[in-house]
Amino acid sequence: MTTRFRFIVLSLLLVACATVAFATDFAVIVHPSNAAKAMSLADLGKILREKTTNWPNGRVITVVIRDPNSPAMKFVIEKAMGGTAEDGKAVLNEESRKPAASIIFVSSDEDIVKTVEANPTAIGIVDVYNITSGVKVIRIDDKQPFDPGYVLKGH
Amino acid sequence: MGFRNTFEFAIIAVFVAGIAAVGPIARAQKSAASRKIGALAVKSDTVPVTTSSKEARQDYELGLSHREDLLFTEEGIDFFRKSVKADPHFALGHATLAFFTTDPSEEVRELALAKASASHAAPDEKLLIQWMTGTKNGQLVPAIAAMNDLLAKYPNDKRLANMYGEWLLGAQENYDQAAKVLEKILKNDPDYYPALNNLAYSYALGGRAELAPPLMDQYVAALPGQPNPQDSYAEILRMAGDFPDALDHYRTALRIAPTFFTSQVGIASTYALMGDEERARFEYVKAIDMAKERTDRMDYRILWAMTYFRENRPGLARKAFAEVAAEAHKQNLPIEEAECHRDTALFNPDSESAMNDLDAASAVMADKRHILVGTRETELAKILQTRSFIAVRTDNVDAARKALEGLNSMAQTNRDNVVQDAYHSANGAVMFLQGDYSGAISELEEDPRDPLSLQLLADAESKAGQTADAQKTLKTLAAINDETVEMAVVVPPVRAALKSNGSPSAQETSH
Repeated sequence: MTTRFRFIVLSLLLVACATVAFATDFAVIVHPSNAAKAMSLADLGKILREKTTNWPNGRVITVVIRDPNSPAMKFVIEKAMGGTAEDGKAVLNEESRKPAASIIFVSSDEDIVKTVEANPTAIGIVDVYNITSGVKVIRIDDKQPFDPGYVLKGH
Repeated sequence: MGFRNTFEFAIIAVFVAGIAAVGPIARAQKSAASRKIGALAVKSDTVPVTTSSKEARQDYELGLSHREDLLFTEEGIDFFRKSVKADPHFALGHATLAFFTTDPSEEVRELALAKASASHAAPDEKLLIQWMTGTKNGQLVPAIAAMNDLLAKYPNDKRLANMYGEWLLGAQENYDQAAKVLEKILKNDPDYYPALNNLAYSYALGGRAELAPPLMDQYVAALPGQPNPQDSYAEILRMAGDFPDALDHYRTALRIAPTFFTSQVGIASTYALMGDEERARFEYVKAIDMAKERTDRMDYRILWAMTYFRENRPGLARKAFAEVAAEAHKQNLPIEEAECHRDTALFNPDSESAMNDLDAASAVMADKRHILVGTRETELAKILQTRSFIAVRTDNVDAARKALEGLNSMAQTNRDNVVQDAYHSANGAVMFLQGDYSGAISELEEDPRDPLSLQLLADAESKAGQTADAQKTLKTLAAINDETVEMAVVVPPVRAALKSNGSPSAQETSH
């Protein structure tokens, strides 16, 4: 390992083993052609709850997320939809949403990114480390991932 | 003083011995790496490298093979320097040097040159430059997007993916994501040794320590003639407290490559952890002589000075640190100079005087325009966190609040892990002093790897009546074996107290 690395990180193996808690930021992504540049966390919650179903241009919003039962999504659901993760999951899994394809569950962040890259009406939520330049990261509550105080910083 | 004369004599002696050993290895490596270049030049599955100079291209490749493949870090950085000297318009060369250098002045200069030369680079090469420079100047979102674009375009560029994995592991501390990237490399090439090393550390640091040793065995077997596998193995053994075996592996590394200075400093720090400070100093002197980068040499001089504090000789320690600080000042190394004052403060039993030491550290950082803002703020954050820790020793809530104010302001604009962790630690310290132990626990848990924060966490848990949690935190602290000043200050009293069934507090942690 490098010398700098040694000083900063490696020395803490045993501590890390005892308390594992890696934090990541979740990025809200849309197709680059989407005019949206920012939204509030409350607006994101409305989209997830299907209270808001259309973009300002009238096109139907398609939500692309991972299985609501995954640990990462549990955090996002609680944060964006309010209430418990179970309530959020129930809303996201409502049968009435599926025929309209307003929500798509996929198995990986890579699949979310690919789906959003190909769909001008999609909005997805991924670990920021999985974004590409084929998607646009939008600001939530005036902040983007890695900004201090970014609301979708999870554990 | 006698120790200084001994120090100087040892430096000269080891320098002469080191010169004799360095030549053949460097030449052999250069020859092997040069042969490799011929093969790599025709590959089309790696990111393009644009330079008008054949020499620059060759030195760039040698830099990567030394720095990334074999972890001969100094030699690698030297090759990058040669590459941009051969072609001053070599944008990727400048970006790579900025990315890897440990010299803050060089970092600033090379970032600017990379930006100025970027128009000479190919489109995909520009993406790599964007990633390298973005990670340095806080443009992380576009930087990550650029890297993922490259990984999709060049799925067989193992070195590129390994570089990303190493950054996720070291700079981002995102062990799961690092493991994901590195596992993908090894799925396609199970013997790609740089990824074996990084994946072992990703597992170990990410809470899957049981998966690390088989990878280390594989890494050692894959590179029997290289020192870094032995060095990495040694470090993991040392962290687990197996000092004799750690020394064996470090020595094996040095037998393989007598100039592999990280193993030399590994030996020195192992002796320091074993409590044999005289031997540690002797070994540190060798390491100082072997290191070529001035920042490395200064870092090792700091570790050398720290041995006097470790063996409870505060007079000699303060004198040694003052000398190192003066030398750092002379060499225009403000981070190292400030660290000397901060280290002195941490070991200072007189809290008022310790605050003066921290004032000196802050003064060093006050007006340094030749280092990046982020680099300066990282050091300032450490100084302020130390201030809040020392404030707890004397129940000085005003001093703790003042430190928190500085960190709060910094944390609003700087998302560096060190800054954010320091903010949470200082906030925890203030809450602790105000008697809000539950709030303090919550804040201090946000900085779970710093011994200063862990010490305060144990205190807060104890005050909150969470005795079992406090004991668990203290045991976690007692298990740390590293060469940082924080460990040297906090851990020995904790071990002593646990041995006598006591519970030391931050107020008692001073030498």
